[in-house]
This record gives sequence, structure tokens and C-alpha cells, in this order.
Amino acid sequence: MPIPARSIAQKIIARAAGRDTVEVGEYVTVTPDYVACQELFWPGHKRNLDRIGVDRIPRPDKALMVIDHSTSGAMGSHHHATHRSLRDWCAAQGIENLFGPGNGLRHLVLTERGFARPGTLVFSDEGNIASIGVLGALNLPISTEVIVAIIQDANWIAVPPSARITLTGALGFGVTARDSIQAILRDSTADGRLLQCCVEFDGPGLAALTLDDRQTLLASLFHSGAYTGIMEPDALALDYVRERDQGRPWDVVRADPGAEYMTRLSYDLSAIAPMVTVPPDAHGGVPVDQVAGQRIDQASIGSCAGGRLDDLRAAARVLRGRKVAPHVTLYVTPGSRNVYVEAAREGLLEILAEAGAAVLAPGCTTCWGYQGVLNDNEVSISTQQFNYQGRNGSRSARVFLAGPYAVAAAAVAGQIVDPRPMLAEAAP
Amino acid sequence: MTHAIPRGRVWKFGDDVCGDDGIIEFAIVAAGFGKEFDEDALRAMCFRSLRPEFPDQVRQGDIVVGGRNFAHHNHVEVSVAIRASGIAVVVVESCDAGFLRRALNNGLPVMVCPGIAAAVADGAVISADPATGIVTLPSGQVLHARPFSERMVQIWQAGGTIPLLEREFAARRAAGQSQGGTA
Repeated sequence: MPIPARSIAQKIIARAAGRDTVEVGEYVTVTPDYVACQELFWPGHKRNLDRIGVDRIPRPDKALMVIDHSTSGAMGSHHHATHRSLRDWCAAQGIENLFGPGNGLRHLVLTERGFARPGTLVFSDEGNIASIGVLGALNLPISTEVIVAIIQDANWIAVPPSARITLTGALGFGVTARDSIQAILRDSTADGRLLQCCVEFDGPGLAALTLDDRQTLLASLFHSGAYTGIMEPDALALDYVRERDQGRPWDVVRADPGAEYMTRLSYDLSAIAPMVTVPPDAHGGVPVDQVAGQRIDQASIGSCAGGRLDDLRAAARVLRGRKVAPHVTLYVTPGSRNVYVEAAREGLLEILAEAGAAVLAPGCTTCWGYQGVLNDNEVSISTQQFNYQGRNGSRSARVFLAGPYAVAAAAVAGQIVDPRPMLAEAAP
Repeated sequence: MTHAIPRGRVWKFGDDVCGDDGIIEFAIVAAGFGKEFDEDALRAMCFRSLRPEFPDQVRQGDIVVGGRNFAHHNHVEVSVAIRASGIAVVVVESCDAGFLRRALNNGLPVMVCPGIAAAVADGAVISADPATGIVTLPSGQVLHARPFSERMVQIWQAGGTIPLLEREFAARRAAGQSQGGTA
């Protein structure tokens, strides 16, 4: 019997299940290429490992353990003990891929160090690691069950349906990929049209985006309820992979013509204007004009949605020769050590620091409230992922989400503004 | 394997209920990430911002019925809070895959059952069987959710993934087998 047309997710999952094909909705057991795990829940994982009585894990070479949520063993926290316990366990198990504080986010460790490659299947603990889909790698988020995948070198999944979003046009002046994903979330969350899907992006508009921009789209997709996301890697993506694969194998996986999609959407990127997402919903995006004038206390640039080199370049474009408003604290967090080094080399850190930014160590920092905790009624604007109440401290604090131009411009103005006039006046 | 089919009183919630800021309160929970779950604290905060009477009045075996996109943005403590409150099963109009998975991993079955929100009133008594996907309303009318796989039923019946693995590894040790194996 001929194999029916398959989506990218179906093909990658079928291979990992040792099958020719898998059906949408089918429950299958798959063997991952990697399992990516952060440290925050490590004490619980360790308790569970001890409870089950795990002596040796079968594939220490597949485990990627990354300390990215607690970027320091800070006073008053229990994180220093977590770091020690994780290091000791990794040493005992022969896990070489332990990335300590300062290495940055799992998302970037996976792409920058040649783990995420076309066709690889990664079990991880978070949906935003879909950003590795930029290289044609499939993230399957299983939360705290990552430890189960490490224990068994396999886990069960339900094969997700797929959706397709076709991008045309090019981003206009002062518009970022973050603005685009804010528009997609605004339109695609309430009716659940992407719920539980693997979203494939394609189209000429995608080809015109940088790899950093593409990762911003993928990283924020999960707010719609989508399960994961992926892109067919083009020449730009494949060059990036070849420079980093260290001889590890990969295989480009493309969707079959005629593959079935639960939802098909298309967006003209040139029609998108700067947006701000209003709390508490991740899909509450509005044109920036609607919230212009909103006074802010804090601004932050970073996270898996907005801490890559292009984001820091965008912030520096606005902040060069300007100063952060006296009543505002601006935090900037490079997404990884590599981004930090590149930002230093390009002189971006100098521009940001001279403008008055507090540059933090690579990691999640303000996005989960580890740093930049907000007081009652304070207002923040951020490139981070989350804006629900209480995410960053007080429930009465409000977090507006935006792209790096809008956040940097708000930090300077002390209030939310359309970033384009400031950008137009910026030195080239 | 046979199992008791959950049957209980419904606590009904609406569409787009946020997990981290609605079912639980993130700022309180985040401070304890990595520590043992404080089930008493989670029970005390469960649903209180939406239904202040919930923590006091919920009974063992009650059922939560949710609307569209139920429990979006949920850390694992959301599932633990609902389970620790005594809820036997959660039946929703729709939810993301992560909630379903985190809940089951912690012994709480979540069934995606389109039509449930319109068909059931708060306080009604329904039965819901994750193994077959059959939801039976007070009128006798039946709705269908996607049935769990055999493995999912095993996880549910064991009270979560970790208790199941604990048992399976102990059995292997007793049989003199090495570790590793199936998921």
C-alpha cells in the first residue's frame, strides 16, 4: 500500500518510532536524538530518580543538561545546591553535555552547538524550544517528563496534527519578527485553530527573515496552544548547520505535497505594524498607538523570544547615543554566551551599557521573574514570553510585551511609544 | 485491566482559564520550584481566584469541566493542585497538549471532549471514563472524548508516571533484569 502524504512532524516521528509512517492522533513510542533539560526542577527529578532506583541511564550522550533558569547561586535561594547536585549526578552518569551558568538558554545551546540539526527529534521540557525548528529539528515538549525520556531513552507521544502558515512580503521599517508573531497569536488563539498542532512555516516571506527572526516566530508559537513548530531548512539554515554539526549526521525532512493540514493561514509581513501585547493575555496584541503614553517602570530585552544577536542589534540601534529615562530600569540579557561574545565584539554591549542598561548573565532572568521582580502596580515592557498576572512578582504589576525596537524606545521615553520616529533619527 | 469509572459532581469553569494565574498563583508557586510540592498550599489556592468556595467545598471524586483552551499557561503545579484537591478527572472542551500530559504524569486524567461545556451544568453528576473516552451526562446522553492509550491508562491507574516506573523497575530488579526498557 502506498504511504499517504505526510507532514514534516509525521516523517520525523515515524523515523524515531522505527516506522514507515504514523497517523495523526496515533499513540507511538519514539526514541529521541537528544533530551534537553533545565535545572530548575532538577531537585524533583533527582528525588524521582532515587525513588525509582535508577542506577545508570542508557544514553548519557543524549542528555543535554542546561542551567539557564537560575543563572547564579544567589543568596537566599536554594539554587546553588541544585547546581551542585546536578553537576555531581552528571559526572556520575558520564553526561558530558552539562552547560553551567552563563552558557545561556537550552534553545540556543541546541542550535549554536550543533545538536539541533535537520530531522533530529528532541524531547524537552518547554514548548518554546520549538525555536530549534529553524534548522528543521523537531521539539517535542514533555515538561517534567523529560526525566522519563532520559531514564528510558524513549517516551510515548500522540502524533500531532500539522498546520501551515505561509509568509509573504518583507517586514517594514521598524517592524520585527516579534510583531509578526504577536499578530499571529492575536488571530489564532481564541478559536484554537492551532491547538495541539505542529505548525510548519513556509513561503517567500520566511526566506527573507534572518535565522534569529525565524526563531522568534517559533519560540512564541506555543502561546496559541500549538504543540510545536518547524521550518524546512533553506540554504541559509543549512550553512549554519554545516558550520556547527561537528560531523554529526542529519537529514533534511520536507513535507510531502498533499500532506494534510488542520489549518492553513497566510500573512503578508509588509502589512504588519509595530505591536504591543497588553496583559494579561499572550494574544492581546494591539497596534502600538493604542497604548502609547503608558508610563513604564521597567523594560527588559532577552528571553528565548527576544535575546538573540539581532534583538540586541535592534536595541542598540535605538539606544546608541541615547539614555534610558531616569525612572526606568532596563535589563538586557543575551540569550547565550555566544550571543554575549558576539555582542561584545560588535560593540553592542558598550552601546547598551552607556545608555544605562543593566546587562545580565545569559539565561532566562526576567522572563520567569528570577530577576527584575515587579512591585505592586509597577509596569514593565519586555521582549520576554509571559504577561499573565503574577509572573514577575506582584499580581497588580502589568507586563506589556513587544519587539526589541519598541522596548528600547520605551526605555528611553519612559513610556510606551512607536519606535519608528526614534529609529528614523538614529545614526545608520 | 479493570478500573473504576469516575463519577462525580461537576465544578464548571469557562473558556480561556489561565493555569498559572487562575487555577494556581504563580508568584507563590515559583518561589518553591524544585522543592517538594507543598500540596496543602496548592490545595488552598486551587481555583480560589475564580471560585473562592472551591478549596473548602470540593469533595474527593468531584469532576472539573472546563471550556476552550482550559488551563493554558500551566506549570506542573496546576495539575498537582487539581489532583490534590481530590478531583477524579478533568473534562474540557479543548486544551493544549502540555496540560494533558503534565496532568497525566501526575496522576490526573484530562479528557478532551468537544461539546461538554454546553452539555453540562455546574453541580450536575456525570461519569467520565478516560479509557473508553465515554462521558455520560445526567440525561443518559453520551459524549465521546479521545480514549487513552493502554499506557496512559496504566499511568493514570498507577497515580502517575513516577509511581508506575517505580513499580516496573522494582519488578525488573526482582526478576534480575537490567534497567532500561520501554516507555
